[in-house]
Formats: sequence, C-alpha cells, structure tokens
Amino acid sequence: MPPALRRYLVVVETVNRAVGRVLVWSIFLLMGLLLWASIARTALDAPLVWSVELAQFLLVAYFLLGGGWSLLADAHVRMDLLWARWGGRGRAFADSITALCLLVYLAVMLVGGVGSTHYALSFDQRNYSAWAPPLAPIKIVMVVGLVLMLLQAIAIFLRDLGRLRGWRLPEPPAP
Amino acid sequence: MSHEAIALLLFSGMMLMLLTGQRVFAAIGFVASVATLALWGTGGVEIPFNAAITVMNWYALVTLPLFVLMGYVLAGSGLADDLYRMVHVWSGGLRGGLAIGTIVLMVLVSAINGLSVAGLAIGATIALPAMLQRGYDKLMVTGVIQAGSTLGILIPPSVVLVLYGMIARQPVGHLWLAGILPGLLMATLFVLYVLLRCRLQPHLGPPLPAEERAAIPRREKLVLLRAGLWPLAIFALMIGLFVKGVTSLVESAAVGALAALVVTGLKGRLTLAFLEDCARKTLAVSCMFLWIITAALAFGAVFDGLGAVKAVERFVIGQMHLEPWQVLVLMQLSFLILGTFLDDTAMLVIVAPLYIPLVRKLGFDPIWYGVLYTITCQIAYLTPPFGYNLFLMRAMAPPEIRLTDIYRSVAPFVAIMLVTLLIVGLFPQIALWLPRLVYTR
Repeated sequence: MPPALRRYLVVVETVNRAVGRVLVWSIFLLMGLLLWASIARTALDAPLVWSVELAQFLLVAYFLLGGGWSLLADAHVRMDLLWARWGGRGRAFADSITALCLLVYLAVMLVGGVGSTHYALSFDQRNYSAWAPPLAPIKIVMVVGLVLMLLQAIAIFLRDLGRLRGWRLPEPPAP
Repeated sequence: MSHEAIALLLFSGMMLMLLTGQRVFAAIGFVASVATLALWGTGGVEIPFNAAITVMNWYALVTLPLFVLMGYVLAGSGLADDLYRMVHVWSGGLRGGLAIGTIVLMVLVSAINGLSVAGLAIGATIALPAMLQRGYDKLMVTGVIQAGSTLGILIPPSVVLVLYGMIARQPVGHLWLAGILPGLLMATLFVLYVLLRCRLQPHLGPPLPAEERAAIPRREKLVLLRAGLWPLAIFALMIGLFVKGVTSLVESAAVGALAALVVTGLKGRLTLAFLEDCARKTLAVSCMFLWIITAALAFGAVFDGLGAVKAVERFVIGQMHLEPWQVLVLMQLSFLILGTFLDDTAMLVIVAPLYIPLVRKLGFDPIWYGVLYTITCQIAYLTPPFGYNLFLMRAMAPPEIRLTDIYRSVAPFVAIMLVTLLIVGLFPQIALWLPRLVYTR
C-alpha cells in the first residue's frame, strides 16, 4: 500500500488505541463521583451542586471520545442477515461502499458540533442551573471525539479498500 | 410529496441501509443526516449533533455504563459459579432439573443486572457446558439460556425500562416494580414448560444419577444455599435504597457496581487485569448502545419535524375506527414485526414517541404499557434475523451448536413469551399491583 496511507493507518490507529486505553478507566471515576455525591448528600448533609452535570459531561465524553476506539475494536452491531454470508472479500466490498454512511453521518455530526461549539464560545453559553457551568469545554471535547472517530472511519475505509486491492496492510493494534 | 410519504420513504430507506450490513448506528445516522439536509438545508445541520446533547441531558442514561460494568464484574466474580453449583445440587435430581436450575439462576442474575448480556455470558460459560456434559439436548440448553437471560430486562434493575421511562416520562421506580411479577410469571411458565417437556421426552434432560447426588452431604447442600443470599443482598441494597428515596436512580446504579466489585474482592478475584478487562468491555458495549441511541434520536427528531406523531394519531384514531384494545394489539404486532429486523433500542427511540401519546389518549396506563413493551423487546432479542441474544449466543456457544440450532431452540420460548404478553395484557393488575402497593403507603 502507498507509504503515506500506511503511515496514516498506523498513526490514527495508535492514537485511538491509546485514547481508548486511558478512557476505559473513567467508568470508575464516574462510579466514584456518584458514590461521593450520594454520601455527601445523605451522610454529610452537604449536597454537591455539580455532581449531576459533571456525571452527564463524563458520560458524553465517555462515548464520544471512545467512539474512535469502539470502531477500532469493532464494537458496533450490524444487521448481518446477508452480510455474514458474503465472505471476506464481499464484506470488504460492501463496507467500502457503505463506508459512505459512516463518513457522511460523522461529517454532519462534526459540522454541527463545530457550529454548536462556536455558538457556545461566542455567547458564553451556560447551563441554567445552580452550578451554571460553561458548555464550551464539553462541546470541544465532543468535537475532538468526533474528529478521532472520523479519522478512524477513514482508516477502516482504507483497510477495506486495501483488502479489495490486495495491499499488504499493517497489523492493526489490539484494542 | 406529502409528509406521510416522506416519513415512509425515510423508514424504508433506513431498513434498506440496515440490510447492507453497515453498522446499525451508521445506517440510521446516515439516513437522518441526509434527511435533515434535504428537508431543511444547512439549517438542519446541527440536528444530529444536538441529539448527542439530548443524550447528555437524559441524566438517567448514566445508569447504562454502570449496569454494563456491574454485569461484567458479576459474570467474572465467581458468584455465578457458586450459584450454579447451588441450583445444580438442589434441582439436578429432577428430570430437566439442570435446565430448571438455569432458569432460577437467570432470575437471580436478572435481579442484579439490567441487561441480558451478563446472563447470557454466565449461561454460556457455566450452565451450557455443564448441561451438555450431562447429556441434555442442545436445543433445550441453548433455548433455556437465551430465553432466561432476557429476563434481565424485565426484572429490575432494567435498562430498557429506564429508557422507556425517559421517553414516556414515567417514574422508573414504578416501572421497575411493575416488571417483577410479570418476570416471575414468565420464569414460572418457562419452568413448567421444561418440566412438562422432560416428562414427555425424558432424554431431553436426564436427571443426575442417584450416586452423584448421594455423594453430596446434606450439610454441604445447606451451605451452598448461602450463595443465593448474595444476589438477594445486592438487589435489596440497590433497589431498596432507590425505592426508599435514599439514593437517586443513577446513584443506585453506582452502588450496584460497587457492590459487585466488593463481592468480587471477597472472592479474591479482584485483580488489575480483571478490572481492565471489565472496563474495556464496558466501554465497547456502552459505545455501541449510546451511539445507536444518538443516531436514533436524530432520526426521531426528523420524524418529529415531519409531524409523524400527529399523522399516526390522526390515522389510527380518526380513520381506522378501532376499539382501544384493537389499537393496542396492532401496536404490539408492529413492535413484534419491527423487532425481528430492528435493534430494540433504535425501535424504542424512534417508534415509542409515536405510540406513547396514543396509549395515553386511549386511556391505558403507561406503566403497564412499559411492561408490555419490555416483553416485546425480550421477544425481539430472540427472533431472527436481528436479535442481540442470537448474536451473543453465536459468539459464545461451542462449535457443536450450529446457527440453525440457535434459531430453532428459541421457538418454544418465544411462544411462552407471547403467552405471558397476552396474560399481562388481559390482566394489567399483574404488573400494576406491586407499584401501587409500595408507592401508596
């Protein structure tokens, strides 16, 4: 395969794998936050005003930043009634065409995300709550997640294309 | 083109894209994205992204990764092995006893887990080899495990009922309590079926030989019963704190995950490698579900923009002149048919907003309808071509169990689920009695 594409595959997949490896631990952070919040409210009688929103931010960061890794780990279900019967080459062919679905959806998500972040930054958008956190930081995290995902979707497309063309592909990293 | 025609076009477009075998979330998200751009131009470009913001604001969704984590931790905690040994010695002597024991095991696992994944993992790794080794029929074995594990979404805690509660704006506590009796009813019907079938055809589930049973002293049998206390304790802690209002829904999910970790620690299995493995599976499954929800919400927003809710209402109430119960039967039938093709989460997010206003308008109790919907989801998990449990079973089952076995094995259990659906449909009290009892005191 062309060296530039090969380098792209290696870099994108390494980055997404590294992000995923760190991100998996954040579930314990989320758990700890919620336990702390319930103890603070019931036992210490000092409710945290920011726990609910922080948990929401963590969740959305979790699955958006994890999106690229989840594509790498092939974690998404397909309706494989026909797909499962097509064999390796047939699947690569179908996927290289329907990769358009993934790319278009993620591109629209990204464009929307950039617009929404721009708005949040320009008008200092905040949640209507006691804590009133600014929304721009989490939106920036979401956009970063979408970029990682889009890069990984392109990497998947390149792999399918390579399979069809008989390129020698680099070994994908274990997720 | 009329709005109804566009809505129909979108729906068939989605079905077609799903058939290509592209990832479910990408197929749904693609149709939604193209539709927003085609209908509303660049003004609609933020709709798919705003769906992710909606996911963020649905606070109850935070329970999802926590329940997934809890399920994976418990599946590897060693607790399930103890539970299986318990049901093994207590019911193994009956004809089909191990299958019945597996159903009891699934009820216990369902009470500490909100999805069917953990039940299936436990069933496929622990109960399945044990039963095959003792000469149980493979169709009986795979059927029991697949059907039993779906109880995870009906018996609280249930992630499906959390999702339903968000969409229907119903309290999750009521929904969870409403799921208990129908869940136990369904489990009882499963047990009766196995008993009857194995009485008529004893080779399907031979009893354990008498000498194997005699080898276990009574004292040890009683000690094994203690294993059953763990799930009950976790259930009481988690659901009790929540129903009493001490912890919020999301916090109780964190309590459950912590309890699972503590039990694993007590069993001496809490290693860093185990934690990382669970955390990785949790991220994978959570991403899968949350991305389907995000894409389906974008699709639902387009549908909503087209006025599909009003159109369905006008059509069903205004033009079809049906009795309320006939509408209900039609809705369930459409869910059953859609459920064979479509992922149940996507089905809930896209279709439920169309149906729930109708349910209210016709004077039905939305709590009761949530239970009916969940039973329909259980059936959807098992019916080919698209069913989560079919996927998972295929991935986990040993090679001697072929795909056709997996498909055939679910048939009798799907029939029992339909019977349960009918019974709960005819007697709403089965679902509504418990929440009314607990919440009116």
